[in-house]
Amino acid sequence: MINRRTLLTTALTLGAMKAFPGLSYAQARPLVFATFTGSWEEAHKAVLVPAFRKVNADASIVLDPMLSVDQIAKVNAARANPPIDVMLHDPGPALVAIGQDIVEPFPVEKSTYYKDLIAEAQEPMGPAPFFQVVGLTYNPDTIRTPPTSWADLWKPEFKGKVGITNLNSTLGTGWLVEVAKMHGGSEANIDPGFKALEALKPNLAAVAANPGALATLFQQGQIDISPGNFNAIQILKARGVPVEFVAPKEGAIAFKTTIHVVKNSPNKELAFKLIEASLSPEVQTTLMNSPYLIVPTNSKVPMGGEIARVLAKDTAELKKKFVFQDWKKINEQRSAWIERFNREIKL
Amino acid sequence: MAAASVPRDVTSYSIGLAAPLTLFFLVFFVAPLVQLFVLSLHNDTAGVVWGIGQYVHFLTDPFSLSVLGSTLLLGVEVTALCLVLGFPIAWLYHRVGSRAKTLIILIVLLPLLTSVVVRTFAWIVILGRQGIINSTLLSIGAIDAPVRLLYTQFGVVLALAQVQMPLMALPLITALGRIDMNFEDASCSLGAGSWRTFWKVVLPLSLPGVIAGCTLTYAAAITAFITQSLIGGGQMLFMPMYLYQQASTLQNWPFASAISIIFLLAVLAVVTVFGMLGRLSRGYGGA
Repeated sequence: MINRRTLLTTALTLGAMKAFPGLSYAQARPLVFATFTGSWEEAHKAVLVPAFRKVNADASIVLDPMLSVDQIAKVNAARANPPIDVMLHDPGPALVAIGQDIVEPFPVEKSTYYKDLIAEAQEPMGPAPFFQVVGLTYNPDTIRTPPTSWADLWKPEFKGKVGITNLNSTLGTGWLVEVAKMHGGSEANIDPGFKALEALKPNLAAVAANPGALATLFQQGQIDISPGNFNAIQILKARGVPVEFVAPKEGAIAFKTTIHVVKNSPNKELAFKLIEASLSPEVQTTLMNSPYLIVPTNSKVPMGGEIARVLAKDTAELKKKFVFQDWKKINEQRSAWIERFNREIKL
Repeated sequence: MAAASVPRDVTSYSIGLAAPLTLFFLVFFVAPLVQLFVLSLHNDTAGVVWGIGQYVHFLTDPFSLSVLGSTLLLGVEVTALCLVLGFPIAWLYHRVGSRAKTLIILIVLLPLLTSVVVRTFAWIVILGRQGIINSTLLSIGAIDAPVRLLYTQFGVVLALAQVQMPLMALPLITALGRIDMNFEDASCSLGAGSWRTFWKVVLPLSLPGVIAGCTLTYAAAITAFITQSLIGGGQMLFMPMYLYQQASTLQNWPFASAISIIFLLAVLAVVTVFGMLGRLSRGYGGA
């Protein structure tokens, strides 16, 4: 039935299609891959995209780098005709995306490489092509004896030298969970973590708004020690910033970075092909080597270089040394934690 | 032909010229704003249950109100600093030669020529533990250990004042330029000292510029997401970051919408107060 509202909508739509002809050809748009900003974008542009295009007759692909949460917001704003075909997610946002029904199940049986992934990376709603590893970062010029444990952050000698991020980031949240675990808490019981944070206050020099800001603080000498992301640290190090990474004896925190086909994507087949490329041993091997140093998840990829030296020599050791967290549990209470962090952590 | 013979009212203008901009505003500003408002009237994150729960939550939560309060206060501090620093520059501008004028304009405009992100990172370098301020103070022996400047309210105010300075200085320069210099001479020749002349003549006459500058600086300072979060860090929460946190990290769009609407109204209220001051000053400014 035609009423005023539908008439208006139709008129507006037709007008918009006339004004922006691109809209009418949404079906024919290139594959859009929302990777992360910074080093991820560089790595994907240099390695993943060429590998994908080589085996897919130079199919056109566009990288649209943004944060996980922004990817979800963008897709949610246009569910029927999403502007993104392939999303990349940290564990928390991945569960949100799955919960909001905006990703397709990964066609496991069609995939060549899925079965080669280590068990933790095999996620039917979107496999994990990479790991992110969080450990301790320190400035070797000012800290002579390398730290060995998360507990070292509380040492009195680091008064006014410690940096952390707030809970907006996966890094900040995951780290707090690990601190809670050290003091008898868990993903469900964060209270000991907050108590420990309270005790950390004299040592805190900065609570950065995001992990990227933390990196600049090392460059400026504002902080000398902090939890940090393995990749980000290697990139800083390559640029001459005095930073070192160590895996704490409690185990480095490993986050799965999962890759997903967006529901209602007009480019499902190409999206699948891109994900296949990201899981392939060739791409993962190249990305493992310098300068990218991204931890691979395909068990056919032998560990090498800096990763073998600092993190793990093979998949077995990797599983032993890495700590995986229960993000389903974390997500249940994350908003309450963020609220509490907002209120309690004032310097 | 009868219509043509009637002379057109020359004091009225056709509003048709404003139509394209009006349409643009309707589609890209008013419509999304209405959508935002409608979304804020939902009690659950999925946006299904109608209600004013989000507003009740914000307005009864001392923490949220304190975030709003500290944001509005930040704006006042930045605006005051810009005014105190910007006024002498604007005053000077009209009293120097043309070469110096060009130099002043260049200095005032320079911040606008670099991106906010770059300017803010420069402030990180200046305020840091090994930054210019700390190393200078250390070398002259004024302090024994570096002072914490970065990630403090002081640092945020300082950086924002520099970033927003053109918005204050330009209206002031325009307003001061409109004042007839003879007024000052008259005031002095009638026996008023230079301070009295400033308070009784120059300042009142420049009020329209002061109001315009304050409004612009204030609005820009409280919404400056990048500078606030990079210099203020993750533990200093202002409204833009609070909004972003709720919308993006927590995906709580209805609450984020309510925050936006409340923030918008609070800013409108402040701008209205500035506007009223402006009307009060018109008695002087129209001269």
